[in-house]
Amino acid sequence: MIIEIWTKEKYSASEEAALSKRLGHAGLAVEAARLSRLYKVDGDFTAKEFRNIASELLVDKITEKFSLNGRPHGLKGAYRAEVWLKDSATDPVGETVKEAVEEFSGKTARAVRFGHAYYVACGSELKLRHAVGKTLVNEIVNISRIEKI
Amino acid sequence: MTDPMLNFTTLNAKQLAELDSACGWSLNALELAEARRYFKKAGREPARGELETLAQTWSEHCKHKTFSGPVSFKAGGKTKKYKNLFKETIVKATRTLNKKWCLSVFTDNAGIVEFGDKGKWGLAFKAETHNHPCAVEPYGGAETGVGGVIRDILGVGLGAKPVLNTDTFCFGFPDTKMKMPKNSHPPERIFRGVVEGVRDYGNRMGIPTAAGGIYFDDGYCLNPLVYVGCAGLLPVDKIDKKVHPGDLIVSIGGRTGRDGIHGATFSSANIDEETTTSAVQIGHAINEKKTLDVIMRARDLNLYNAVTDCGAGGFSSAIGELGSETGARVHLDAARLKDTRIEPWEIWVSESQERMILAVPQAKLKKLAAILDAESCEYCVLGNFPGDGRLLVTHGETSVVDLPMAFLHGGVPNFEKPAVKRVVKINSKTPARPAKTYGHILKDLLAHPNICSRHSVITQYDHEVQGGTVIKPLQGRYGDGPGDAAVIWPQAATLDLNDFAGFAVGHGFNPALGKIDPYQMALQSIDEAVRNLLCTGAEISRTAIMDNFCAASPKDPRVMGDLVLAAEGCHDGAIAYGAPFISGKDSFYNQARDAEGREYPIPISLLISATAPVEDVRKAITMDFKEAGNPVYLAGVCGRGMGGSVYNDMTGPGNNYITPLDMKAAVRLYTTLLIAIKKGWVAAAHDVSQGGLAVTLAEMSFSGGLGAQIDLAGAVKEDGLSALELLFGESPSRLALEVAKEHETDFLKLVKGLPVKEIGHVTEEPALLTGDAGINFFREDIHQLKARWHRELI
Repeated sequence: MIIEIWTKEKYSASEEAALSKRLGHAGLAVEAARLSRLYKVDGDFTAKEFRNIASELLVDKITEKFSLNGRPHGLKGAYRAEVWLKDSATDPVGETVKEAVEEFSGKTARAVRFGHAYYVACGSELKLRHAVGKTLVNEIVNISRIEKI
Repeated sequence: MTDPMLNFTTLNAKQLAELDSACGWSLNALELAEARRYFKKAGREPARGELETLAQTWSEHCKHKTFSGPVSFKAGGKTKKYKNLFKETIVKATRTLNKKWCLSVFTDNAGIVEFGDKGKWGLAFKAETHNHPCAVEPYGGAETGVGGVIRDILGVGLGAKPVLNTDTFCFGFPDTKMKMPKNSHPPERIFRGVVEGVRDYGNRMGIPTAAGGIYFDDGYCLNPLVYVGCAGLLPVDKIDKKVHPGDLIVSIGGRTGRDGIHGATFSSANIDEETTTSAVQIGHAINEKKTLDVIMRARDLNLYNAVTDCGAGGFSSAIGELGSETGARVHLDAARLKDTRIEPWEIWVSESQERMILAVPQAKLKKLAAILDAESCEYCVLGNFPGDGRLLVTHGETSVVDLPMAFLHGGVPNFEKPAVKRVVKINSKTPARPAKTYGHILKDLLAHPNICSRHSVITQYDHEVQGGTVIKPLQGRYGDGPGDAAVIWPQAATLDLNDFAGFAVGHGFNPALGKIDPYQMALQSIDEAVRNLLCTGAEISRTAIMDNFCAASPKDPRVMGDLVLAAEGCHDGAIAYGAPFISGKDSFYNQARDAEGREYPIPISLLISATAPVEDVRKAITMDFKEAGNPVYLAGVCGRGMGGSVYNDMTGPGNNYITPLDMKAAVRLYTTLLIAIKKGWVAAAHDVSQGGLAVTLAEMSFSGGLGAQIDLAGAVKEDGLSALELLFGESPSRLALEVAKEHETDFLKLVKGLPVKEIGHVTEEPALLTGDAGINFFREDIHQLKARWHRELI
């Protein structure tokens, strides 16, 4: 199960501007950008338990929202870039969340991995791929995929 | 094809080199031949683990073969021979000075000096580099660099409590026009990743990151330099450590995985397009915090006899080092693993992070285990230190390593390296009068990446955690001016709120000088570091310094020549300032090669980190102007030359003459000024360094929200000095001082006979007006100056 968490729109302007600026450094003209944090939780939990983990453990309810079924991003013709650490790379956030999930739920999580999803509205997939490769992804430690949504 | 490991003793030189390359050992031909000779004599073929152990132990990273080896240096038709360059320069200075307040130097994971006046505490200080990993994976490389140097402090003596992290970085210009090789990271990305790594690790560990710097030069585009430092306190009765025969080998902290294999040998290689991924990893600060908490509790209960960190080389290095006299029996099957798909030799050399090795008496294991469990810190008992001087490593029934410690630590062959002095053409003609106005030049300098505000980096770090950062990296009326040094009140370690003893940490660094004259670079870096400490009111007669050299390939005699000159500068500077080296590190092969075979070496780079005690942190001062009407003084002589200046970097080649440092005059000047600062007569002090005097005065003005009216006619200067050199030259040993009006008479009596002259006064009007004997150089609004300086670097 992938739990996707993002900052509510009224608080997200600065992180979105920072993402646009970062991609802009790599030559991409960004029309709009959103970003989410992803927690891939691998364990025998029910849908209700996953929802509880998200709402009671991982989300700051005042500033953030979450979804278990993907985020309604509100961008037309945008691309989604998903970035994870490779399984062979230490994931300190994932490991810490794994311990927290176990203490919270009383059940064992086989693994938790942490990643990001970036939603970017721009004119060129080719330029986006280049910009993501130069700013958000290091192939030595990351895996990623980009898809049009 | 036959496994070459099975007939190692019969391989020829070419085959040995091929094997070395395939295994990523970075051993040279002499070392490979010595290994072959040893096993031939022993009458057997080596196990993979044994060759891996030799590669780790004999690596440049662990043995520092270049700096501690013989060198033949040629300069101007003369040749000077060194048997051990490090001992004959850096160590020699410390031995000559023989300061009794140096408690442990060059023998442990960090240097230790006395702290406070009660004889109870020692201050441990260490700086490391993590350059190669940061070039490949900036975030993970920086994180693990910080984690590593913190472990050095945890592993010094019986463990010190970290109270300060430092960070100094060198990157290519973020907007570089340099054509980069295909697989390289752009400098802006490296910069961002490194800052985020340092931030996340330091902040999560609860250690303030409060001193350092950032330097840009396109020579660092492919090889960034990431200097990370840490200071900590430990009781003086916890400095000595000794492994006793029979002690158990206990590994605590993180688990062992395949990550970070060959980190030590990777540091001895040029980075190229084929650089492997296993040499870098991501850190886990929370695991290290658990380890820190365990060590502090167990240390105070005397639950172990010795400790060291697992750094480069992993278990092989840490256990090998602790057991260098006693030998060690290691059962790798007892190690806690991240991944079961790992070979025994990989467990032995893995550089997985956040691991410490303790030598624990059998009778104390139970108590230690209780603390480990209480802190949720994993551990395993890997074996013991038997006392027979032999290293025997097994996994189940399989022998992984069976070597005498004497060969492991004393068998590495070394050879004389040639060094030559580079010839640099010096242009000492008076600099041409610039086309732009001086005010315009000042604004451009303030916006230059090597001068502009670092707030967008500094504010990402938690520099307040532990509640002891008295003089902060950002200073002044608005908390955003550029400080010279940090002052720390380590009450979080001493737990004594009535003792106001603290310490200052500052740095000196200027590779632009090194491109012209590495000897002067070293001298002036020491001078700058001491001056930065002085600007806070630290007791500079008790300055302790550290050297961190970074250079390109030592196979190039010119690189070795630069190293020799800088090392000689270190010796002479340390002696003149009475500042012993207490620790240091070197990093070579900071040289990248692209697919076409083009080489990208860095310039010779030397970071001097300095610390000195502050008797009462409540009396420490900052650099911002405090009160209108106070006189402004310039201390030191304005010398000729624009060599190594930021102005030259901005405008291109021209006058590159460097004013030589007059060390005796500098020490005499600083000693007197410290008296004035301690008496409370000086309201603000700021060193004249990058950008020159105009930049110094501008920074003092806008940081204090006050203007200044300056007439440089009174400044002490060399004959024939041009206005450009006076305003923007970077000659050494100068400070601008704001003197409290009510103490001016006393101040003048004190500095009589010294090159200290009044150059103006602080004004309420927010403008910096600067001239010389009636000639107006510029008049600039301080808010506009600040706006140019206050750039978002990241």
